[in-house]
Amino acid sequence: MRKASITLFVVLMAISMALAGCSGNNGSNLPNGGEGSEKETAEKVKVRLAYWNKEDSVKTLLALIAKKLPDIEVEYQFIDNKQYDNIIATQLAAGSGPDIVSVSPSASTKYAKLGYLQDISALADRYNDAGKNVYSADGKLYAIPGISWFEGIFYNVDIFDQYGLKPPSTFAEELALHKALKDKGIKPQAMGAKSWEPMMKSSMGYVMNEFLAKPENKDFDVQFGQGAKKLADSWVPAVEQWSALIQDGYLNEEMLGIDYDQALDEFATGKAAMWESGPWAMEAIKKKNPNIKVNMFPFYGSQPGPGWLIGGPGVGFAANSKSAHPEAVMKVLDLISTPEGQQAFWNDNKGGSSYLKGVEFEMPAEYEGVKETFKAGNVYAPWNNWGDNAQSLIEEYGKRLQEVLGGSSSVGDALKGTDEKRAELSDLGS
Amino acid sequence: MNQRTWKRELNYSLFIAPALLFYVLFSVYPFLSMFYYSVTDYTVRKITNLSFVGLDNYKHLFGSDLLRTGLKNSILYAVLMTVFQTSLGLVLAVFLDRKLATRNLLRSVFFMPAVFSPLIVGFLWGYLMSTSDYGLINQGLEALGLGKINFLGDKDIALYSIVFTQLWQWTGWAMVIFLANLQSIPKDLYEAADIDGASGWKQFWRVTLPLMQPSVNVVAVTAMIGGLKVFDIILALTDGGPGNATQTIMTAYIKTSFNEGFYNRGAAFGVVFFGIVMAITLIMMRYLSKWGEKIR
Repeated sequence: MRKASITLFVVLMAISMALAGCSGNNGSNLPNGGEGSEKETAEKVKVRLAYWNKEDSVKTLLALIAKKLPDIEVEYQFIDNKQYDNIIATQLAAGSGPDIVSVSPSASTKYAKLGYLQDISALADRYNDAGKNVYSADGKLYAIPGISWFEGIFYNVDIFDQYGLKPPSTFAEELALHKALKDKGIKPQAMGAKSWEPMMKSSMGYVMNEFLAKPENKDFDVQFGQGAKKLADSWVPAVEQWSALIQDGYLNEEMLGIDYDQALDEFATGKAAMWESGPWAMEAIKKKNPNIKVNMFPFYGSQPGPGWLIGGPGVGFAANSKSAHPEAVMKVLDLISTPEGQQAFWNDNKGGSSYLKGVEFEMPAEYEGVKETFKAGNVYAPWNNWGDNAQSLIEEYGKRLQEVLGGSSSVGDALKGTDEKRAELSDLGS
Repeated sequence: MNQRTWKRELNYSLFIAPALLFYVLFSVYPFLSMFYYSVTDYTVRKITNLSFVGLDNYKHLFGSDLLRTGLKNSILYAVLMTVFQTSLGLVLAVFLDRKLATRNLLRSVFFMPAVFSPLIVGFLWGYLMSTSDYGLINQGLEALGLGKINFLGDKDIALYSIVFTQLWQWTGWAMVIFLANLQSIPKDLYEAADIDGASGWKQFWRVTLPLMQPSVNVVAVTAMIGGLKVFDIILALTDGGPGNATQTIMTAYIKTSFNEGFYNRGAAFGVVFFGIVMAITLIMMRYLSKWGEKIR
């Protein structure tokens, strides 16, 4: 009997210890008072910030937060863009996740509807409409807009000068430029098409010029997001014209075996004369080749004009509604929403502009070639108006274009496939 | 059952209880939950007040190109990994069981890749196999006057390129398991075979291989199950691309469940996946145990 009692005792102890180990309690959930709260006040409040760009892209901002908010420690978490939405959506669904969540406009709307984000409308008045509208839902602000982003085509000024080439002003000139470079034995354009992103953006650049910029199509993106319009009924002519880059071999199957970093290497070291990217890549380009002279031109259509850049409000910083430190999170967001905070963020993202009222930055020389495009206000990302499922839709579209590049599909099928995915995603409900 | 036996049984049961509790909590309960979600309308937009939708999610599975591609690729990957990892591991083990001066060094060299994370291996091979001007393998091919091979960007060969990197990484691990088994085979069996005039080849087939059955079982079954679950190296090398050419069961499952938000369809896929893995494993175990019985 005694033996059985001892066994029972040991087993119960093991179970209770194991269950105690599994419990989710930690210091932050302790009731106020006693030793726990004394320790809390003596220590810094740790706030986790997750973002899809590397820490270098916010290092000045993090230094400013450390200086101005000494009682708060921001723990930076880099999550690769490829899996960012995946990881964050899973964490938020589980009621955890970072205290400050970096979001795109579509993710912000989606998470706000699901109740994952805190209403931060107290900061709304500081930002202009262009920035805050995309991060608002039902009249409430859910994320503060960061520095705007844009993507165009970088070119190597020395290579262009050496062969007497000029940046184009129409798509036909762009094709001729590719041909001239190829004839001279230079790889015209580097592209990391192993990722579905660059072709998606490049083709949309042409579509914006040829189709979306027309007044009669100004609501197309919203209607597509709602299922009232289809890409296969509207975009086929434009995307087929753009696909001349594929037919002429300037974008080719080899590029499906090259990733972003490898394409950057090719451009930075002068192996390729052009590369489609944006300001976030500038530091890495200069690190690889400090002597490189770079300029940028926008995406063009068939007619001359200022062209278009793919872009829009950059990352939005949102507050997790389940954060254990909502006050500390608001202090950080408040600091970012000051001219000093914007300056610090811009410092590592030079080229973009701020949405904070009264704050303007000078455009660096590397973006001289897209000055006219900015003046015309031609910076746009169609999917920002595609609704909550935009991220899955652009991925589908980009992956379908990879099949076009690989020769196993046509432009029409790619657009039809994206329409089918949009219809399928509507099964998620609203 | 007398009182004494009953007490003994109770003692044993109590000792099993903690493990059983964990098993129920972390295996049985999640699986039953997954089955429950697979027959509901649980999505990223509907996480409460779930409704029963019958087998709708299962019907969708069989109509989905993505999931069909994932299934086909995972089975192909798992079969290739099982066959080649087992056979190459066996060959390596037999060679490195011989008295070579560099035996220990070679064993370390072949085992070394197994130490690295698949993400590091993915990054490394991503650069080596790249078609960019910095892709080492293609540079070598071009220097020899051959054309470039688009290892990871050609939809027809990308999956085989991934299998190659994984054989490079895991064959050494299989070799170590086989070596441990090889060293336990009594030397007098080989001496007897020598006296009987058996050639080296005959000794391998008649003595070595039959006695290697336990380790072949371990390596083949783990390679098959690991192969069916492959995820990380796909993510690192191709992210399922080009297009969806290298999607596997797990990458398609993650995409459907978490990228798109169809938790219900993901759960249905999980249930089907469980059935497939169980069926394949049972068939393999049965075949391998028959082989074991035959050689005894």
